[in-house]
Amino acid sequence: MDIFSNIALGLEIALTPVNLLYCFLGVFLGTFIGVLPGIGALAAISMLFPITYHLEPTTALIMLAGIYYGTAYGGSTASILLNIPGTSSSVVTCLDGYPMAQQGRAGVALAMTAIGSFFGGVFGILVLSLFSPLISNSALSFGPAEYFTLMVLGLIAASAITEGSAAKGLAMVVLGILLASVGMDPQSGIQRFTFGTLDLMDGLGMSALAMGLFGISEVIASIRTKTDGTTATVTPHAVSMRSLIPTRDDMRRSWMPMLRSSSIGSFFGALPGTGPSIASFVSYAMEKRVSKTPERFGKGAVEGVVAPETANNAADQTAFIPTLTLGIPGSATMALMIGAMMVHGIHPGPQMMTEQPAMFWGLVMSFWVGNVLLIILNLPLIGLWVRLLTIPYHLLFPAIVMFISIGAYSVRYSAFDVLTVAGFGALGYAMRIFAMPAAPLLLGFVLGPLIEQHFRRAMVLARGDLAAIVERPISGVFVIISVLLLGWSLWSTFRQTGKAKLVESEN
Amino acid sequence: MKIFAAAALAFAAATGAAVAEDFPTKPVTIIIPYSGGGSTDLMARSLAIELQDMWGQPVIVENRAGAGSMIGTAYLSQQKPDGYTLLVNTAAHSTAPAVQKDLPFDPKTGITPIGMVATSPYVAVSGAGVKSEGFDKFVEEAKERPMFFATAGVGSSSHFAAELLIQQAGLPADVVHYSGGGEAQVNLMGGHADVYISTTASVMPYVNNGQVKALVVLAPERFELLPDVQSSGENGVEGIEIDGWLGLFGPGGMDPALVERLNADMNKAIATDRFKKVLEENFVVAGKTTSAEFKEQVEKEMELWIGLAKERNIVAQ
Repeated sequence: MDIFSNIALGLEIALTPVNLLYCFLGVFLGTFIGVLPGIGALAAISMLFPITYHLEPTTALIMLAGIYYGTAYGGSTASILLNIPGTSSSVVTCLDGYPMAQQGRAGVALAMTAIGSFFGGVFGILVLSLFSPLISNSALSFGPAEYFTLMVLGLIAASAITEGSAAKGLAMVVLGILLASVGMDPQSGIQRFTFGTLDLMDGLGMSALAMGLFGISEVIASIRTKTDGTTATVTPHAVSMRSLIPTRDDMRRSWMPMLRSSSIGSFFGALPGTGPSIASFVSYAMEKRVSKTPERFGKGAVEGVVAPETANNAADQTAFIPTLTLGIPGSATMALMIGAMMVHGIHPGPQMMTEQPAMFWGLVMSFWVGNVLLIILNLPLIGLWVRLLTIPYHLLFPAIVMFISIGAYSVRYSAFDVLTVAGFGALGYAMRIFAMPAAPLLLGFVLGPLIEQHFRRAMVLARGDLAAIVERPISGVFVIISVLLLGWSLWSTFRQTGKAKLVESEN
Repeated sequence: MKIFAAAALAFAAATGAAVAEDFPTKPVTIIIPYSGGGSTDLMARSLAIELQDMWGQPVIVENRAGAGSMIGTAYLSQQKPDGYTLLVNTAAHSTAPAVQKDLPFDPKTGITPIGMVATSPYVAVSGAGVKSEGFDKFVEEAKERPMFFATAGVGSSSHFAAELLIQQAGLPADVVHYSGGGEAQVNLMGGHADVYISTTASVMPYVNNGQVKALVVLAPERFELLPDVQSSGENGVEGIEIDGWLGLFGPGGMDPALVERLNADMNKAIATDRFKKVLEENFVVAGKTTSAEFKEQVEKEMELWIGLAKERNIVAQ
């Protein structure tokens, strides 16, 4: 069968010593960069981009791709151990990962995320290998109307992420949407809240917001509570190899979330313009909804750690589908990948699978190799990462702040971006004082502008006819699912309150 | 004493010219006001490699993206006009000031145009929703079903080129804005929008893949590298004499001798075989202008776009 000859071709290329070496370099570098909060794949790939001029195209791509999906493995480390996200797509992992670390289960959390990441990566690679042409054709039929209804569905689905007071969660989502409105209005060109500066014309950066809100605020909060100079709650001898192994219970709870999150991650990864961050939010919220014991989420539920990490790895792999089969970059990092190919005169597109099978399949097989290398690399390293916690805070936190600042500056060589991170750090700390949840703010910030942009574009294209947006087949399906999901959420809330009242009245 | 003073003065004047001779004695930075990986980025990097080989000094590329290339340009305007900081930009350099009025620099005097690296006419490509081949049939189809022209964003060169074509050809069409050329072309492929106008470097990869069709070049005559594509001029559309160029710029107030030196070096760099290949792959031709000609073209286009912005009511801040 054709697929087997392609696989053979790909393996032949992926397993050459040079490509193996660069694959290893890429994933190792990627993991390391993922662990460092603030510095992400984009910065690393931008800095290493000139290397593509001196290497064979496939080799260069293998390395850059390794960095890209490697960061999704490493990003959870800082999230779990320090409550500081390593990458923007690992923010959700903080919610359950850090509580698990506080319960002494850091090793288990790290092991489960490594396994989940591998599962998600493999799932994404399978989708990429088997269904690329089908998916890219379907992705073409997603116009502004479909994106709009999908983002609304995503917002409703991910709303389960809030805990505690629903009013506070809603307020934070709205604040996130407001913050995202800063910048140039995409349809009319009017400047919103930019106060005349060019720096704000493209809006506030997502990475700056995530790092400031979650990272810097965590540093500030920890400095306050740990002024007596104590070190971490976990001491080295408490982390034996035994404690790193997940229990059977953990594995039993995790495999269905892994499957579901891989599907969600693959879906969002393949759509240009959406990606690992949205996938991680929606998959976490989905697990919380379908779980029989949702109250465990936010307090160290292993599903809450496995779901986002699986989803973001799957999304990172399927992000290559529109890149390779349509030639359309779904994100800035993918634009660099396409650039790396264009440097050598290769234009990715529908013909890539047939005209450049060596490059396509060599790359896809290198993803397999890379994921295997990563799981081999990451599991033993867990013991090393857990020892990070023994570094005294007065040394660790300045280093973290430095990395976050470097990461913020490196995006546009802009001091303004660093100040933005500091500002959001202050905002995040203020929110902690008032017990406002930060995750919904990020959710609103990511989804709000997407909803607005696509809605207005859809309205322009439909010439103001709202019904036309809903009547299209795919959008219609999303609208129906949104309504059903909303209805179910409301009904289950009323049922919960009803049960509680019943219990009260019985007592 | 007077002779000494005169000699010192003559020496100082000669040093001005001598600076242009010695240039460069340390690394040069070229700013690209877009994020990495795009066609502009790649062509600028190729130019940097040529200049590096020519000068024997490192030529470092910095991506400073944002505000439709204006953040990088604003940064350039603040640098010393000693030739060690340069910038490569597309025709967005002349369109962006037409919609952004609060720029922290003067678009005419804050930046010195040095030379044109490459140029091509703008090409309009059509997507899955357009059935016609060729501009003449397209105009007919546009009368039956009003079309949508996608743009890469408000104030981008694709926006202005679309407005110009719509106005001059009298098409009953509207513009719809996207965030970047990639998103616009994806929507073309999916049939949600109809036409997208941009430089050949941006659209030819997709035309060659068969994902979009080249509809017309916005020029009085056909483009030599695309002989099968009709021109707007041959279809009776007047008043379109613009180019989708890529240019080299320096901060304002540069010494004219230095500008000439850089212009000459740039023209040598774009004439090498290696760069010719880059030009071919992107379906553009070498610039080959003097700095004065380039400056004139930039200013002419700035005026044109400001006028068009007023006529078509494009939001001007």
